[in-house]
Amino acid sequence: MNIVVCCKAVPGLVTDLKIGADGKAIQYQGQLLAINECDEYALEEALALKRSHGGQITAISMGNIKALDILYYALAKGADKAVRVDCESQDPRVASNVIASALGKLDFDLVLTGTQSRDTLGGQVGIAAASLLGIPFAYAVVEVEARENNTVKVRKELGGGRYAEVELMLPALLCVQTGIQPLTFVPPARRIRARQQPVASFSLADLGLQVDQLAPRGYRFIAVRPPERTHQVELLQGSPQEIATALLNKIRESL
Amino acid sequence: MARDVLVLVEHSEGKVESLTSQLLAIGSRLAKEMKVELVAAAIGHRMENVVEALQGKGIDRILVVDDPGLALAGGEVQAHVFAEIGKQVEPRLVLVGYSLVGMELTPAIASKLRMNALTNCVNIELRDGVITVTRPLFDGTIHAQIALEENATAVVALQKGPAILTAPLAKKAVVQSITIDVNSIPSRSRVLEITEEPKGDVDLGKAEIIVAVGRGIGDQEKIHFTAELAEALGGTLACSRPVVDVGWLPRERQVGASGKSVAPKVYVACGISGAIQHLTGMRDSKRIIAINKDPNAPIFQVAHIGVVGDLFEIVPALTKAAQEAQTR
Repeated sequence: MNIVVCCKAVPGLVTDLKIGADGKAIQYQGQLLAINECDEYALEEALALKRSHGGQITAISMGNIKALDILYYALAKGADKAVRVDCESQDPRVASNVIASALGKLDFDLVLTGTQSRDTLGGQVGIAAASLLGIPFAYAVVEVEARENNTVKVRKELGGGRYAEVELMLPALLCVQTGIQPLTFVPPARRIRARQQPVASFSLADLGLQVDQLAPRGYRFIAVRPPERTHQVELLQGSPQEIATALLNKIRESL
Repeated sequence: MARDVLVLVEHSEGKVESLTSQLLAIGSRLAKEMKVELVAAAIGHRMENVVEALQGKGIDRILVVDDPGLALAGGEVQAHVFAEIGKQVEPRLVLVGYSLVGMELTPAIASKLRMNALTNCVNIELRDGVITVTRPLFDGTIHAQIALEENATAVVALQKGPAILTAPLAKKAVVQSITIDVNSIPSRSRVLEITEEPKGDVDLGKAEIIVAVGRGIGDQEKIHFTAELAEALGGTLACSRPVVDVGWLPRERQVGASGKSVAPKVYVACGISGAIQHLTGMRDSKRIIAINKDPNAPIFQVAHIGVVGDLFEIVPALTKAAQEAQTR
């Protein structure tokens, strides 16, 4: 089974946040780009499926040259190939169009990705790309079982402790939940070795897309700032013992 | 031209989900301000109870697709049916709940309707005549306000917020049945069955005091600090998703969108940053106490009482104080 894993490079720490001049995007200094955690779980699931069913894993990420780091990380974890799509956009409609076009160039039975990225918290690109490609999809998947008849059976969360068992014909796209497989540790030596592996690159021209087709439209950012507090939180200060006494009183008066 | 507000109804076992009721309350206010109709779309099989439950919520029209093929329909089919309804209504705004079901449907519906989707929103309002939404970024530490351009349409997926209490409205919705040939919808997936998490020994729903532990605990060996606090307070130990994902506590103790929703008298969050999925499951608790070393953690947005500090100092001190109070 050939699997493509879509992964996103997300910043750990963000500074100098501001709205771009055209109001269409947010600009910031992002430090310490790392693989989006949900997507790392997708990679782990791909590796587990490969162990039991064989096939090739291709990791794909859309972003600038800094996204290479997480592709090397995916290779170190056991991906066979890596592709960077040279496009920067935080607009979900643009990103899903680009990712769908890139997937169209690859040979796959299954696409795995996470449920949402920690920077934009949008959770759209996977399902939207599947919808554009006309392939079946499932969100919040917690178990994947590959079957003989070119299908997968998955268990997905519906919320509140309810699940759906769904059968999907391949090719299909699954957004997997965190915790679907344990995260494995990659020894530093393997991460260093992985940096010598080639990473293919798709430009927008390679995908037959034009930059002006890919402008976000229909909305503009008007403010970015820390959340307004809907109510005032009462912050307790003092020594741990003083805080403990105060907390215990608060707890008792609440009962 | 696109004008109305269309709410997509989520329901199970004949009942309308509370998130949908919240959307209808918001949608009814918006529609009034925009001077347009509030339309609700409900799809499924044997929809009488759902349609009945939608009355009195300020809806102008209820569009119903009732078909046996929708009894166990998957995302592909549901998205197709909702998109067909969208094409007929041509709404300015589609409101969807940002539940796990809504998260699957929203991008598919938006892409079929060629509309933008703004997901994970915490607010939508008309500001000086402009539709404006607020949504979190960067793990919830930042909120962005986004304005829709004039005449632009959007699918807006809203998070579950604090419950909105509204008195039943006298307005009687017109119910329209829509026929869509569900069997001919191209679909390469099918739902085999719906299952429930088996009930364990832990009943978080009944607990009056919950002590919940998050990733901030750092190590399975240290979970006992919070377990001891729960015991000393006569409460129940719970946790956020990452603690279950790494196998430190069983799934039955998970609070949040995919676990249990709880509303105890006291909720003590220890080392929980407050991802949206967690807040959804506990924000209705009567008194929320948060202990976290990061003053910007989103948990402080819902907490009533906060301690910015080291949980390994605060939690044992509180356990000791509670134990001493018991023996006195």
